[in-house]
Amino acid sequence: MKIYFYLFFVFLNLNAELVLEITESSDNPYRIAIHNFDGQASISNEISAIIKADLQRTGEFSVLSSDDLLTEEVYQEELNYKNYRLLGVDYILKGKINSKDRVNITVSYDIYDSVKEKKIRSSKIYGIPNKTRQLAHYVSDGIYEEITGLKGVSSTKMLYVSEGLVGSAKVYKLMLADADGMNEQTLLKSNSAIISPSWSPDSKEIAYVSFETGLAKVFIQNIATGSREVAVKNKYQISSPAFSPDGKFLSLTLYQDGNAEIYILNLENKNLTRLTNHYSIDTESSWSPDGKKILFTSGRSGSPQLYEIDLLKFNTKPKRLTFDGSYNAKASYLPSNEGIVFVQRNEGEFKIALKYFNENFSRPLTESRLDESPSISPNGNVIIYAIKEDKVGLLAGVTLSGAKFRLPSSSGEVREPSWSGYLR
Amino acid sequence: MYIQSNNRNIFYVSFLMFAVSCSTTNNTEESVYNSTVSSVEVSVAEDSIVSYDEKPITTNAVVYFDFDKFTLSTKSIQTLKSVVRAMNDNTDMVITVSGHADERGTREYNLALGQRRGDAVKDYLLLNGINNNRVTVKSFGEEYPLVTGSNDESWSKNRRAEIN
Repeated sequence: MKIYFYLFFVFLNLNAELVLEITESSDNPYRIAIHNFDGQASISNEISAIIKADLQRTGEFSVLSSDDLLTEEVYQEELNYKNYRLLGVDYILKGKINSKDRVNITVSYDIYDSVKEKKIRSSKIYGIPNKTRQLAHYVSDGIYEEITGLKGVSSTKMLYVSEGLVGSAKVYKLMLADADGMNEQTLLKSNSAIISPSWSPDSKEIAYVSFETGLAKVFIQNIATGSREVAVKNKYQISSPAFSPDGKFLSLTLYQDGNAEIYILNLENKNLTRLTNHYSIDTESSWSPDGKKILFTSGRSGSPQLYEIDLLKFNTKPKRLTFDGSYNAKASYLPSNEGIVFVQRNEGEFKIALKYFNENFSRPLTESRLDESPSISPNGNVIIYAIKEDKVGLLAGVTLSGAKFRLPSSSGEVREPSWSGYLR
Repeated sequence: MYIQSNNRNIFYVSFLMFAVSCSTTNNTEESVYNSTVSSVEVSVAEDSIVSYDEKPITTNAVVYFDFDKFTLSTKSIQTLKSVVRAMNDNTDMVITVSGHADERGTREYNLALGQRRGDAVKDYLLLNGINNNRVTVKSFGEEYPLVTGSNDESWSKNRRAEIN
């Protein structure tokens, strides 16, 4: 049985550019009952709505609200587990909001298991002023982790690029938003194209390619201060930045040899080490989770294919990873290091595909025609990517459990999503 | 003897499992991470050689390419012959070759592909006696399409190298 959810979130924040729509959920979701939190009703309603949306977005949860439940249960101290089991509820969430005002909010919540008939988690979260949404995301992540065993990603963030028109002039923006598309903030506004945003592992800095000088250049920018610098100061085109997992290096594509080659920049002493040496295109480098390998796209076989370099066996020939299809590019490793996610051309259409290392085939994950720029959530469970629909770019997501969602923009077009690490 | 000890292990394991399942609730406490964000605004440098904002693109010559290819067609070579003639007639003339790709495929690979297209043009000019210093190559990948539209006609117009 497939369960379809259609949710349109329009909260008070009318500036929000992205509107989340959940289009498909997975087959056997966990059923959780979320009671209204004790405390101020307006805050409780807001927090409950965010938690509900966060959990449904994972595709792994079906949420029952207070309205769906037997009303006499709401204020009862002892839970009548049998009643919940009758409704097919696996877990129950009860919580309490402590707020003297809307500024300083603390949330306490308990999770109960209806089969084991006991409390399985009791948590307390101290909010900071004006971050009610973030506070709710922390509750969602706690629930997700307790029940699935995987860390939740509702409290993480993403980068993306928007393109719009102001008068007749194109305006490109590098945006930062919550993982659900809300709370977006502009990191860079430019009248030149911006591509390939990526995060430092501590999520304090970002690297991206900007054409503002008339030539593709990699910039590193501090999110908090806005201070930015060119990663490599020379007269050549530079692109495709990726931070190493320890944050000490940045892999890049340099064009100074007359052809795209991958280099590693030591961010401390600015030394550059050349990694590839081939007359074909080598670009789109990404690091393995342990930082020991680099994955990249190369045209050396005559079409774009994925290769891997073992940094400990520096001078050995790169190992080719993809053999099916005439176009496999822009790959990144799953955080578990069990496989890679990339763009694959299949019968003239571009899809996001997944290949596990212990399988000799790849699995297409998406179904439109021009899918690109996949970015994996830090728990490895969700892939956000860019699609084109009626000439307009928008973001979409798919979970490994089969749920799907879209994040269309209310104006202009969006693309180049990049998921942060855990921000806690 | 071995069996006995094994049984005892099973007893310990089941005792541990029992203990775990009876263990107290998972208790956590944490604070929301505080972060600040600054916004930066930049505009195209005045002296940038090719500006793609606002004004329509004006080019002296354009050559086109097949998907994922950077080889010059016979028609492209005719165009480039006239570029060579113009550059021979005007020895002060320096040019920029801007390589572009269509929207299909990945943005970074297309940036590299645009560079190869620009390089293919430059290589031809150099083979025909033009000095290396007179030709600059840059790529804009798929970022500045000439025409919008996700169809063969639009794509073929966007896979190009512009010579200014």
